[in-house]
Amino acid sequence: MANYKVHDNPIRDEWVAKLGKVTSVKAATQFIQDFRKAHTTPLRTEHTLDLDYLWIESKIEEKLAVLRGDAFVDEDLLNLCTTGEAAGMVVKHWAQKMEKATDKYSAEKILIQFRQLYKPPVMPVNYFFTADTQMGSRLMELRNTNYYATSLPDLRKERGVKVLHLGVSKAAH
Amino acid sequence: MALSTATKAATDALSVNRAPTTVGPQEVHKWMQSFNWDFKNNRTKYPTKYHMANDTKEQFKIIAKEYARMESVKDERQFGTLLDGMTRLNAGNRVHPRWGETMKVASNFLEVGEYNAIAAAAMLWDSASSAEQKNGYLAQVLDEIRHTHQCGFVNYYFAKHYHDPAGHNDARRSRAIGPLWKGMKRVFADGFISGDAVECSINLQLVGEACFTNPLIVAITEWAAANGDEVTPTVFLSIETDELRHMANGYQTVVSIANDPAAQKYMNSDLNNAFWTQQKYFTPVLGMLFEYGSKFKVEPWVKTWNRWVYEDWGGIWIGRLGKYGVQSPASLRDAKQDAYWAHHDLALLAYAMWPTGFFRLSLPDAEDMAWFEANYPGWYDHYGKIYEEWKALGCEDPASGFIPLQWMIDKGHDIYIDRVSQVPFCPSLAKCSGSLRVHELNGQKHSFSDEWGERMWLTEPERYECQSVFEQYAGRELSDVIVEGHGVRADGKTLIAQPHVRGDKLWTVDDLKRANCKFADPLDKF
Ligand SMILES: [Fe+2]
Ligand SMILES: [Fe+2]
Repeated sequence: MANYKVHDNPIRDEWVAKLGKVTSVKAATQFIQDFRKAHTTPLRTEHTLDLDYLWIESKIEEKLAVLRGDAFVDEDLLNLCTTGEAAGMVVKHWAQKMEKATDKYSAEKILIQFRQLYKPPVMPVNYFFTADTQMGSRLMELRNTNYYATSLPDLRKERGVKVLHLGVSKAAH
Repeated sequence: MALSTATKAATDALSVNRAPTTVGPQEVHKWMQSFNWDFKNNRTKYPTKYHMANDTKEQFKIIAKEYARMESVKDERQFGTLLDGMTRLNAGNRVHPRWGETMKVASNFLEVGEYNAIAAAAMLWDSASSAEQKNGYLAQVLDEIRHTHQCGFVNYYFAKHYHDPAGHNDARRSRAIGPLWKGMKRVFADGFISGDAVECSINLQLVGEACFTNPLIVAITEWAAANGDEVTPTVFLSIETDELRHMANGYQTVVSIANDPAAQKYMNSDLNNAFWTQQKYFTPVLGMLFEYGSKFKVEPWVKTWNRWVYEDWGGIWIGRLGKYGVQSPASLRDAKQDAYWAHHDLALLAYAMWPTGFFRLSLPDAEDMAWFEANYPGWYDHYGKIYEEWKALGCEDPASGFIPLQWMIDKGHDIYIDRVSQVPFCPSLAKCSGSLRVHELNGQKHSFSDEWGERMWLTEPERYECQSVFEQYAGRELSDVIVEGHGVRADGKTLIAQPHVRGDKLWTVDDLKRANCKFADPLDKF
């Protein structure tokens, strides 16, 4: 694992340099979406940045927010995603997707993907948080219905975990 | 500039519902009852599975002027006593040093809990739709602000008056070093303010306040007084008199959702998770702070726990909520077993990892050992002998270069961190109810130490992404991490943490470096 300091480390420097080359809203949007898909949430495809991804992500957010602030007029700041899409339409589209989800695993995937793609500053906060709350409430309902109905072994299978070790429990039951 | 919707709604309501011209408490209370936050779209901005009823009553009966009067009297008592009487008696220095160290943890951590309780109560204010219920939560916000100040003041007071201020004054700076802060943030921060708003209320009010403030804020005053600390009881009892009303708020949360069909679907699993979340940390940590962080013992932790957690809360309080469909949590049985051994397990690991703290720990002496064995038969053969071996190897002496953590690694007693609670767990030495589980998901390995937490993670993996200190620091040398994480005193070389509470033989960065102890992630073996 990483034998370097928490702050001021070579990984962070490397990403700050990469980010320095990003100069437009369009490029920064692509940059943050790619980054979030690869390095954030349980759906991430890589674990190489596990120690630093939150810091790096915050730097990309900062950059995109500044670029967006310069490029957008007030009206757009409140209503437009940095992808160029109308926030209201995007939110409607994802809410419908969530509505159609019938099981917790697909609902969870929808919400995480929504966050990877649209978490601010890609989408204006006024749209994002309302949508996230509504979708999150729906996900909670699906996850918490019959919470104990599935046994742990079956739950592990459904989740797709590889069991590496199971100790013997001294628990009372 | 245009008024915000909230301000406009409040202004409109005020013009319809004029404030009373006299200030009799009953009249003011009546007015507050009829005061209504009737926003057009009264939908909370926080996610929840539940629907809170519009007509819930408030049990927080003393409000507005009466409330302010009462709290100002309580504040005067506290600050007057501390700044005048106690200071003249040199109370800050009459504390047994073991207990002085315990308060570095207890008050700094409770301050975090109080701070997050401000946000939690505010979130419930936003979520509730009954005006009376909103009043109750809003007053709780004020209380929690007061408590945050009070806890901060305890550490401020000790930093000024106690002979060893390091840790009282700057605990937060060193928060990234050890595992103890992470677990505390799980119960005191995440548990109170993340996820379903009603689930947060269950964590904060139904479990945190109704169950664990009794041992955390009341029992601690007995231990404090027994160990010469007159400061903590003055402050903490002042806090606890407010907590009673917060428990009433938790009761009203349940009442407000009782008629919602959703409540019967979700409430008991939320309660079980909340109870397990809170107990997983508090049961071992409080037991450890009381029994290992004191010279003079009050009563065995298991007895306190059984009386307040098992009988008073699990039986009587939850029993009173039975008519609303609330059941005693199923995890209470495992918790009962943990109340006996889990704090001994944790104390051993905490001592093994002593350099990562922001406080000083000490080995049990002969008198302590006799007390432990008398109250927890079997203690000596399992734990006592290890402490004796560490002492013989010179764990207290900086010249020895011996860190018990190295002993753990050399003997193959790997320490794992439970992903969900962040509480450390050593499967080869633990006597608590847990067992090690290691899973790989999407290329990442995770360890767990009990089935309740494992289920929570399997259900909501994105909620438990906190890295363990072993994952963060694998490969790094201990003193290097401690220097970077601000674990050093103002002289630039002496460690804040120490493996004893004596005045001499303090460990420095160089002593630690000589031990050449390296962080390793036990999950790498799988
Ligand atoms: Fe409080
Ligand atoms: Fe409280």
